[in-house]
Amino acid sequence: MGSRPPVRSREARRRWRGYVYVLPAFAFYVAFAVLPALHTAYLSLFEWDGVTLGEWVGLGNYAEILQDPILRRSVFNALVLVVFFALVPIVLGLLSAGLLARYRRPGMGAYRFLFMLPQVVPLVAVGVTWRWLYGDDGVVNQALRAVGLDSVARAWLGDFDFALIAVGLVGTWVLSGLCMMLFLSGVQKVDPSLYEAARIDGAGPVREFVSVTLPHLRGELAVAMTVTTVAALASFDIVYVTTNGGPGEQTTVPGLLVYRLAFSEGKVGLAAALAVVLSVLILGIVYLINRLSRDRT
Amino acid sequence: MDSTHRVGRRLAATLCAVALVLPLAACDALTPGSATVVPGPTGVPSSTAVPNGDVTLRLQFADAPLMVDALIAAFEKGHPDIAVEPQYKTFSDYVQNLKLTMTSDTAPDIAQYAVGMTDLAADGHILDLAPYREAYGWDKAIPPVSLDQLTAGQTSAATGGRALFGVPAGLSMTGIYYNKELAEKAGIDAPPKTLAEFEKQLAAAKEADLTPLGVGALDSGGLHLWAALLNQLMPTDEYWDWVNGKKGATIENPAAVEATELVIDWGREGYYNESANGTAQVDSTAQFTKGDSVFLINGNWAAGQLATVMGDNVGFFPMPGEQPGSPTVASGFSVSYAVSAKTEHPEAAGAFLDFLTTPEAGQIISDNGFMPPNPDAVKKPTGVLADIAEGHERAVADDGITTFPDFAAPAMLDRLRSGVQKLIADRVKPADYLDSLQDEWEDHHGE
Repeated sequence: MGSRPPVRSREARRRWRGYVYVLPAFAFYVAFAVLPALHTAYLSLFEWDGVTLGEWVGLGNYAEILQDPILRRSVFNALVLVVFFALVPIVLGLLSAGLLARYRRPGMGAYRFLFMLPQVVPLVAVGVTWRWLYGDDGVVNQALRAVGLDSVARAWLGDFDFALIAVGLVGTWVLSGLCMMLFLSGVQKVDPSLYEAARIDGAGPVREFVSVTLPHLRGELAVAMTVTTVAALASFDIVYVTTNGGPGEQTTVPGLLVYRLAFSEGKVGLAAALAVVLSVLILGIVYLINRLSRDRT
Repeated sequence: MDSTHRVGRRLAATLCAVALVLPLAACDALTPGSATVVPGPTGVPSSTAVPNGDVTLRLQFADAPLMVDALIAAFEKGHPDIAVEPQYKTFSDYVQNLKLTMTSDTAPDIAQYAVGMTDLAADGHILDLAPYREAYGWDKAIPPVSLDQLTAGQTSAATGGRALFGVPAGLSMTGIYYNKELAEKAGIDAPPKTLAEFEKQLAAAKEADLTPLGVGALDSGGLHLWAALLNQLMPTDEYWDWVNGKKGATIENPAAVEATELVIDWGREGYYNESANGTAQVDSTAQFTKGDSVFLINGNWAAGQLATVMGDNVGFFPMPGEQPGSPTVASGFSVSYAVSAKTEHPEAAGAFLDFLTTPEAGQIISDNGFMPPNPDAVKKPTGVLADIAEGHERAVADDGITTFPDFAAPAMLDRLRSGVQKLIADRVKPADYLDSLQDEWEDHHGE
């Protein structure tokens, strides 16, 4: 041992020091994220009511999830919500970034503030507010009646055909501002000379957007897609507050079912299994998004 | 260079392995539920004596905080040695945490009875109060039907008779409210005597271009409608067997199909408010006070609000049966209190529960809009409150107060809520709806 060259050992120590810095955060992460996650996975192998002794059922809960039509329906609903939480906000965000980024106008700060507002309001408050707006005598119906569309007016959240769309549009309202902010900040990084060069080459605003702005937003697009898709798949608060999954199972999402199964129905094992499946699904989709956005470069 | 890398990798691998193996190695301790110590056969003394010395009882509850405060104040006046410390929670918080609360080491001495108490009672976390029932004579002070709701379908180990897991402080009941002015406009001059007559009145209201029946089906309001019809058509004994989880009981029977079909038919006839599925129960009540519908399905808990806003313009009747002489049957339950098996003061808890059956407590309960367990002991109410008291008296006399159908299983409320929404929207066949309920029932009550 004593024959080891001192230089080497000092170097080794220096390399070790890095781990020491990481250790507190790592320990924290393990204690409050990794272990609970593993425990959840472990619980998913039991049939447990939350009180009495659990019974080992192996993968039985997972089999039940695959067979339950309500659970499958909830996954379908979550995928529909991806359209409203992710696709539409990204398109709207790109549109407003394209329209606003290149030209300075007075009042831009206020405009951004307005669009960012939904981001700083707690989602539960958002849900309560929209429940009023969508109500029988809510603003939405008042507006429709004011322009003579009485036959269209209805209690949107109680309508079998429109409830999911209505809930989805709340998500669109919340997340469009976030996407816009992301893209606006992305555009500001673009070297102005590129735009100059494009204009000299005779590019109009559309051409400019497609050839210069869009390629530079690839990173921001990946971030926006990841954040909004996760928000859609893991959605809970908005749905819980507005419709509680109804009418029927039209707006039931997996997050809501995890909560219900664990807390009101006393099926903790099944809830844990569903939570695991949902996490795996989200991780898979996020991985896919990141792979695709990297491949295009 | 290489070696440090290897060390780092080894460290990471070790940490991962530890993280993975720890929970598995500690398997026994981590088996869910193994940490819960099920208390032994704690008994209730069969005498009514309350020992001397200062005692503090913790009371956790979810309904009617004003009523609870008044009851506690009155009780403490009579028992200066016993302090009662109220712990209020909102209803959903209360129900969702009930099992954790009652199985924890710091369980409250007294807790409001709710869905889920049945399982706790079966596991020995709730005291069987049957010896107290005999000692205090509660069978005389409280209608037996109200106590039967609190037996969790069990027999008592201590007395050999019915078990008892709570004492009611105020009873509830569902039924139909009607707007007297609007009813007159539709040519309806008296509450219906039969279900068929009620249907005619709904049709008359429709004919008069009014919304016949207000339903708030966004939350649990729809299930009251279905249960009210079920109560009239399905034999009460069979309904009890089903709610109590008696072996072999089923909701898939012709009477239940008929009741379910009625909910669909009324929807097809356009008897409900157009956005019933998008309206919460409290909102449907508010709309009713504004004259938006002739009838409203709800429970006595809405009576205070309705009487205040509508005065003499509102009346109440229980859903009528098939024949003029049919017994009055309605869903109802009680705001009841159970005692934790972990309490150190069962005598003091018993004294508090007994206080709830006294005329003094009855008056407090009545003043707060609930029906006292012993209605003879209080001043006669007036207006719509009198209608309810009279209907409740008939139902009690006919042994016709049945628990709410969601008591059949913890997950039943979700099935019922979404199921009735589909019935109202005509989106499910009666057989499929009842099948989904029975599936849930079998899931909970086992083979």
